[in-house]
Order: sequence, then C-alpha cells, then structure tokens
Amino acid sequence: MSHDAESSAPPRTVYVVDDDPAMRHSLGWLIGSLGLEVQGFASAEEFLRALKPDRPGCLVTDVRMPGMSGLELQDTLARAGSLLSVVVVTGHADVPMAVRALRAGAVDFIEKPFNDQLLLDRVHEALEKSRRAWEAAERKRAVRALIGRLTPRERQVAALVVAGKPNKVIAAEINLSMKTVEVHRHNVMDKLEVASVADLTRLLLEAE
Amino acid sequence: MVVRLLFAFLLLLSSHGLAADPPVRVGVLAYRGEEHAAAVWEPTIRYLGDHFPGRGAEMVALDLAGMDAAVQNRTVDLILTNTGNYVDLEARYGVTRIATLQSGRSSGNAIGSAIIVRADRRDLKDLRDLRGRTLMAIDPDAFGGFQVAWGELLDAGVDPFRDLKDLRFSGFPVDRVAFAVRDGTADAGVLRACVLEELAAEGRIDPADFRVLGSRSAPDFACAHSTDLYPDWPLARLAGTPEELAKQAVVALFQMPPDHPAAKAGGYQGWAVPRDYQPVHALFRSLRIGPYRSLRDVSLVDLARENWHWLALAALALLWWTIHSLRVEHLIKVRTAELRAANRDLVREMAERRRAEENARERQREIDHVARLSILGEMASNLAHELNQPLGAIANYARGCTRRLEAGTGRPAELADATRAIADQADRAAHIIARIRNFVRKRAPQIEPVDINDAVRAAAALCADRARSAGIAVTLDLADGLPRVAADAVQIEQVVLNLMKNGLDAMEGCLPADGITVRTGLDGEGRVRVMVADRGHGLSAEARERLFDPFFTTKPEGMGLGLSICRTILESHGGHLWAADNPGGGVEIRFVLPAVQENPTHES
Repeated sequence: MSHDAESSAPPRTVYVVDDDPAMRHSLGWLIGSLGLEVQGFASAEEFLRALKPDRPGCLVTDVRMPGMSGLELQDTLARAGSLLSVVVVTGHADVPMAVRALRAGAVDFIEKPFNDQLLLDRVHEALEKSRRAWEAAERKRAVRALIGRLTPRERQVAALVVAGKPNKVIAAEINLSMKTVEVHRHNVMDKLEVASVADLTRLLLEAE
Repeated sequence: MVVRLLFAFLLLLSSHGLAADPPVRVGVLAYRGEEHAAAVWEPTIRYLGDHFPGRGAEMVALDLAGMDAAVQNRTVDLILTNTGNYVDLEARYGVTRIATLQSGRSSGNAIGSAIIVRADRRDLKDLRDLRGRTLMAIDPDAFGGFQVAWGELLDAGVDPFRDLKDLRFSGFPVDRVAFAVRDGTADAGVLRACVLEELAAEGRIDPADFRVLGSRSAPDFACAHSTDLYPDWPLARLAGTPEELAKQAVVALFQMPPDHPAAKAGGYQGWAVPRDYQPVHALFRSLRIGPYRSLRDVSLVDLARENWHWLALAALALLWWTIHSLRVEHLIKVRTAELRAANRDLVREMAERRRAEENARERQREIDHVARLSILGEMASNLAHELNQPLGAIANYARGCTRRLEAGTGRPAELADATRAIADQADRAAHIIARIRNFVRKRAPQIEPVDINDAVRAAAALCADRARSAGIAVTLDLADGLPRVAADAVQIEQVVLNLMKNGLDAMEGCLPADGITVRTGLDGEGRVRVMVADRGHGLSAEARERLFDPFFTTKPEGMGLGLSICRTILESHGGHLWAADNPGGGVEIRFVLPAVQENPTHES
C-alpha cells in the first residue's frame, strides 16, 4: 500500500524556487552536498503546478520574483494545508518582510549572502519539522480511519463518554437502555483499540 | 653851290626820309625836377641826337616811378639814371649799361658818401659813436648819399633805422644838411662825397667847421669820404633797343671832347666803358633794397601793415583752423581711446565667452557624470543585489564542492561542472562591474556609429534587477536591421536607462499588469526611433508642461535633472525627445536620432 510506504519513509526532498538560474542551481548543489534530493523551480507558479500541496519537505524560496513572490507562495501553501516547511532566502531583506514570513510559519528568514552552515542547519530543521508535521498528519489520518469504523450511534456514545458522562446518564440522554449503552461503549473501545477512557479521550483529541 | 644845294637837298631828303622815324627817346632821371634835369642833361641829349642822323634824340625827364614805368612799357630807347636805380632796373628788366659817366673828380669810381659832424664834436670820433645820435640826410633814395652811408653804418654795427635817436631827411638843396650839422640841429649829416668841397668852393660854408667821420683815402679821388666808392651814372639800353642804335650812342659819347658844352652842363669830363656795378649789387643785397627789397624784413612788416585786415582774417582763420584741428585731434584721440578700450573689452569678452563656453561644456560633462552617478546611486541596492547573485552563486558552488570533497562523496565530473559554474559566475560579476564602471566613468563624449539595440539592452541589463525585484516585467521589442546612429554609446545608454527608471518609478505600487515596453524602430523620415512606455500613473497637466524643466520632479528623492539632461544629450546628438500618453494608461517617452549614412557595401 502506497500509503504505508510513505509513512515508513517520509521523503526528504528540498525544493528550491529562485528565478536566477545560477542562484537556483548553486543552492541545489550546496544542499545536495548533504545527500538530499533537490528540485529546482524558476517560479512560484511552476512549483505549484508541479507539486501536490500535501507533500512533505523543505521549500527554499527567494522573495522577489517576477509573478508570484516567495511570500505569496508561502501563504498559498499554508492555505492549502501544505506540510512543507519554508526557509525564505532573500537579497532584499527588510523587517516587515521578515516578520510576515516568520508569522506565516517560515523556519527562518535568511539574508543573502548567508553562512552555508546556517542554511544547511535550517534546511535540516525544516525537514525535521516537516517530517513531524507529516507524521502528525499521518497519525490523524489513521485515527480518522479508526473513527470511520464506528457506527453513528457508537460515535454518539463515544463523544458522551469522552465528555465524562456515566453510562446511566448517557442512556437517559439518548433514550437507550443501560445495557445497550454498555455494548456500544465496549464496541467503541474495541474498534479504536484503546483500553481506557483516558486513551480514548487522547485519541479523539488527535483527530480534531 | 650845286654841291651845297645837292647836299642840302640830300640832307632834306634824308632828314625827311628819316623824319619818318621817331627821335630816339632817352629817359633821364630827374631827381630834382624836370627843370634841373633839362639844365644838366639837355645838352648831352642834343649831342646824342646829332649823332642819330635824320632822327635826333628826345629827352624824357622821369622820376623814379616814371622811369620804372617807361622801362617796363618800353616807351624809351635809352636811359640815363643814377647808379642805384640802374642796378634795380638791370635786375628787374634786363637793361644793360653801355657807358659810365666819367666825373672830373676821379678816373675810377666816384660815388661815395661823407658823414660829417661839427669839427668841435670831440665825442664823435668814428661811425660807432653815432649810436643814439641824430643823423640827417637828403633823401632815402639817394644812392650817393644816404644809401652808401647806410651800408657803411651797418658795417660799423649801427643800424640807422634802429640805433639812432633820430633819422631825418631834409630834401634839396643839399646845403640844408651842412647847415643843420653846423647849427647843431643834427649831430651828423650825410652828403654825397665832394658836395662838402663844392659847397666850400662856392663859399657857402667854412670847411673848417666840419669834420668827416671815418674818412678814408682813395687813389685818384680828392674828396673826403667815409665810405667805399661806387661807379657813377651809366647810360643804358633797354633789352629791345637795336644794337646799332646802342653802338651809335656809345661811339658818340666816347668821342665827346672833355670841353664839350654838354660835358660842362652835365658837370662831367666824358664817358668811359661801362664799369663793374657788382659792388652796388652787393651793397643793395646787404641793405635789402632795390632788386633785393624782397629780402627786407621791413618790407614784410610793411606788407603786413598794408594788408592787416587780410592778415587778421588769415590769422583768425588760422586760429580757427588750429582750434578746429586741435579739437578734431582731441576728438580723434578720445575716439581712438574709446575704440581701443572697446576693442580691449571685446577681446576680453570673447576670451571670457570662450572660457564660459569651455566651462559650460565642462559643467555639462560634470552634470552628465553626476546624473549617471545619481541614477546608479538610486539603483545602488539593486545593483548590489545584482552583483550578489553571482557572488552568492559562487559561494554556494564553492562550499558545495568543499563539503563533497571533505565527505569524499564528490564525483569528479560533477565537481568539474561546479567549478566551471564558479568561473562563469565570476565572469558574470566582472561583467556587471565593467558595465557599471563604463557607465559612470567620467569621460569626454565619443561619437561613433552605435547600434541603438545594444544601448537599449545595456540599459535594460542595468535596471533588470530593479524591475525583477519590483515584479515589473520589461519587454524589449527591438527591430532588426536598424541603421546605426552617430552617438556616444554611454550617453544614449544613460538616456534609455533614465527613461526606463522613470517608468519603473512610475509603476511603483501599481498592479504590474503589462510592465515596461521598450520598442525600437524607424520613423517616417528614416530616423531611428525609441519608445519607452510604462503603465504607471500617467502625467498631471503641470507635470506634462514642466516635464523637461531642470529640477522639476514628482519624486520625493529625485533631483529633477534626469529628463532635462536626456533632452540636452539628445539635442546635442541632433535628436529630439518628447512625451505622450500611453493609450493603455501611463506615459510614452519617445526620442529619435538621425541615422548614420552608411555605405551598405562596407558592411558586407
């Protein structure tokens, strides 16, 4: 199952978006020295066309480019729920630009010329962050898959259990017998593979 | 009888026949009136007349003026006159002496003067003592007498007209002078030599009463005299008198016996060959009288006195002319000085103007240079960024290589690719620096054939980063096969860059829909046309009007020199710059430059 393959080995690809070919290529060469896979794009638009937004990885982008700017690209990716972590690299840094980038979740805002170690550290960081995000996403998807196995009545009972209500109260609220409620509750615990109410609660929170 | 009759007849006949000829006219100077002259000279004239058979002679008594007129008009044939008058007429009318009177007193020269004083005047020893005294003479025109004495006095250093107390002329009779001296009414007197002796002989004076000043002796001359002696009266012929007549007269006079009644009446012994009258000329010359009157200062004074009104007029005219000349000269001097000053001013002004023009050119170069620096300065961060691109790339390549080499992961082929890329980026950086340096270098314009598209590309390269970072697209729409323009490449690049930068400024903050378009082409007159169009805010009415004014700007940080300098540059290339609205919004700046007339075969 492809899903499983992805979960076992999250891709560690670095995407470089810069309109200057030399800068783009040389960044790739530098980052490539870490043994990472690097893909270069000449514009934000080209990158968006080529990549599905749920792919994890590191995006290294310039800010000022013809067409969509780096910051707009960052916004677009965020809106699309991308799992990419972004490192912004620019020759035209100013404070508002940096604030905006960092608020939008950039790992760092690096000004050219930069220290190569700093960049590579940030790339590592970004990949790690992206990996975590990807794992979180994977886990949420798994939880949701478990939850998907519950019947509507079971989901109703599970929600009331997590809310801390005893079986008697639940039975009264949804107009079922105590016995029936107990059966649903057992099924829920069983289907979601949890042993305690505490575990159940944590699992459902993860799916939020 | 028959013979006598015949002779009488012949005589009658001849005299009748000769009577047709007028008698010979002899002019005689009548210095004491006609009567006296007739008494003295009539016999001599008659004697002459006897020797002009059938013709006779007629005496014409003349005073000095009459003598002059008679000679001039040739109304006489011969003249008998005094020595002084003769010399005058000789000089003026060419009369010639043919005989000189021989007085009884000397066989040689006999005309001189005696200057007499009273015998008892011990204070008067010589002629010099007459200075400041009174002198009396008979007549100023008398030759033997005053004129000869005058010469002697001048020789002694006494000018009778200046140095004497008084000079008086008594007129005839001659004894008046003697009496005046004797009676003491005059300190001295002038008499013709021998007059004193004659008066004494006549018993009219006592010679012991008188003394002759400066008396000198001469051989053959018995009379006391104070002066040189000069020849006596001559008989002279006029220039037109026939030779034969003159000869007859001379022969007759030379043959006159000493006791002839004519000689007695004339008081002379006879006639001799003409003497030398040159000493008379010398005397007259020194006295400046007679023919030498013109030498006399006095005559000039007289002339002046007679013509004083003319002289006064002439003097006035001269004065006026002098003043006029001085004034004109002064004016000329003043004008010349003014002209010279004006000329100097002009020369200085021209030099100043040349200097000013040179300064203006130098300043224009400075302004161009400053303008280029200013454009680049405004774009400095963009240029720094542009330079950072290759430098950053080089750093990335180099570090990537280092890391691979350290990790031992680098494959030689990929390392070689990276180092090649490093070299390429170093070239790129150098290129950018060269472009900037070339653009801002301070230099004299160099006009050469320039491809306008090259200039546009160079300008676009300089502002490419700026456009890129502002997200403004730059479109170059360059026509192929354009003729080249005669221009300074850097200046044209400066113009295009300036226009593009203005476009970028205008589009700052606008939604970059189209960006900037630079289009080259040919206009209808074969000139090369360049258009830079933006999609910015456009121009206000005021901005449009003042667009090319120096220091007019709509930008907070602009100097307002850009377009003004662009226009100056283009006009110095024979081109023209103007602005128009871009139909799609924004502004179009256009300029044209004349194309170089190139021989197409040259290029192939």
